[in-house]
Amino acid sequence: MRLRRLLAAAVLAAAFAQPGMAQDAARGAPIAADRCAACHGADGRSQMPDIPSLAGQQAGFVTLQMILIREGIRHVPAMADVTRGMPDQDIEDLAAYFASLPPAPPEDRRPRDATLAAAGEALIGPRRCGVCHLPALTGRDQIPRIVAQHETYLARAMMEYRDGHRVGADTQMNGAMVGLSDADIAALAHYLAHRD
Amino acid sequence: MTMRRLLLGLAGMLTVAPAFAQQPAVPGWAVGRPEGSTLAPHAPRLTATPLEQVPVGALRLPPGFHAEVFAHGIPGARMMAEGPNGTIFAGTRAIGRVYAISRNPDGTTRTRVIAQGLSQPNGLVVIGNNLYVLAVNRVLRYDNIEANLDNVPAPVELTQAFGLPTDADHGGNHSWKFASLGPDGRIYTNVGVNCNICETDRDRFALLVSFLPDGSGRRIEARGVRNSVGMAHHPVTRELWATNNGRDWAGNDWPDDTLHRVRRSGEDHGFPFCSSGSADPQFNAGRNCSEFVQPAARLGPHVAALGMRFYTGTMFPEAYRNQIFIARRGSWNRERLTGYDVVVAHLDAQGAVTRIEEFMTGLRDDANQRFLDRPVDVHVMRDGSLLVSGEQMGAIYRITYRQ
Repeated sequence: MRLRRLLAAAVLAAAFAQPGMAQDAARGAPIAADRCAACHGADGRSQMPDIPSLAGQQAGFVTLQMILIREGIRHVPAMADVTRGMPDQDIEDLAAYFASLPPAPPEDRRPRDATLAAAGEALIGPRRCGVCHLPALTGRDQIPRIVAQHETYLARAMMEYRDGHRVGADTQMNGAMVGLSDADIAALAHYLAHRD
Repeated sequence: MTMRRLLLGLAGMLTVAPAFAQQPAVPGWAVGRPEGSTLAPHAPRLTATPLEQVPVGALRLPPGFHAEVFAHGIPGARMMAEGPNGTIFAGTRAIGRVYAISRNPDGTTRTRVIAQGLSQPNGLVVIGNNLYVLAVNRVLRYDNIEANLDNVPAPVELTQAFGLPTDADHGGNHSWKFASLGPDGRIYTNVGVNCNICETDRDRFALLVSFLPDGSGRRIEARGVRNSVGMAHHPVTRELWATNNGRDWAGNDWPDDTLHRVRRSGEDHGFPFCSSGSADPQFNAGRNCSEFVQPAARLGPHVAALGMRFYTGTMFPEAYRNQIFIARRGSWNRERLTGYDVVVAHLDAQGAVTRIEEFMTGLRDDANQRFLDRPVDVHVMRDGSLLVSGEQMGAIYRITYRQ
């Protein structure tokens, strides 16, 4: 694990060696080890069910969310301290670093429940998830990868959007969650967590 | 709180009636959205862009005009208002900040963040020495602001007095405000529609409204205007003019965004029954579009026509005097990009729009279907130069003219 991270960092250091690059994954690696790894995992794969994995996450999404948290627009108490006063450059470098890591499902993923997963899958089309997250649901730019993520975290995020406790750069997700029951969200979260 | 209750109520209804839960109704924002589409709003950039990446060199202007970077490192800068001592205030949406940009004696600028953590503080208006910030339904007045830029005192809260619908009332749709000071001393603003397109309370949403500065005296200036994020009064006729954003998910080329002329307060401009002068395919309800006020001009499909000002300076050639400069932020709900420029609406002596002329281009790369910046607002400075805010790059451009 550690060797792979070192290799990844070395490759990226070569690719991003020019000075003045907007986003520098190699520069982000030590910041992540210092500020993020305790909760989000040493390789960007969280070991905690309520904390999202960031490995392979869209850089634009990570950047945007950290800015919204730093500016007091999105409220995550644990993250408020980490982001306070953090320069834009550090945030962009961190986002580039996490985006460079290979994504993988949580190690403690619970067994797949076929009925629940089918109920979740049935909501993907009517809720137009693929329009923004793309058909593979791996996201783009400010729109996150939502597959193979922690099920508990996914469910909480969707409930926060539904209940108006979380906003993004716009309110698309709040609109997309309107009218979903807790059971619908549980099914969606289970399906997404098991889709690789 | 209201939204949460409403949403919980909806969720509860769906739980009681599982048949609905299996086939949720299409939310208002997604009406008409084809299932296979992958059109989504473009990613915003909310981090500072270094000066060397601000695309001022790409800007194209008519002969004699010149563009420079007035200020940069202002993520998300949108609507602009000027204080009596020349401070340029800039509002934002997602990043929640209000900026104050002042000019140093050597011509460089200094930017301060004077408010942050607000919900979409897009509407700014200066009355006397006071700055009004409209952030969705919140209305805040920062008294004597230019004397207090380094130590901004707590604002006077006017939210209750204005009584604008909350973001929850809007269901998150078109809740941000544009604000402008009328020649009658009133604050003019928009109340956007609470959906992409829907039947709605037409006395409450899709309006241009005005207030006395203390929040009293609400008056409907125009009805059936989907979402206006740009208004100005004609410097001679004193008529109110406004830009308007047309609906989404009705095709690449319909409807156009529009320019509206408000001759009399309270007239109906037709939304949702009609857009850009023709019938809506889903929400026309049998109405004849000729019964509504027709748009003064069509500004192009999905271009996002936003900030507009009449040119009242003397620096530009006489042909631009009292003509309307309009920032077109650029499309997302369209397969090929449109907008990403500033255009001029030319008016004849009767105030009829004779043509729409491209003025500032170069930010839209048609070959690669990408854009370099997104112009959101224009502002005429006292020396007659024109400021253009670029939201994507967090920069403000200044356009001058020399023969």
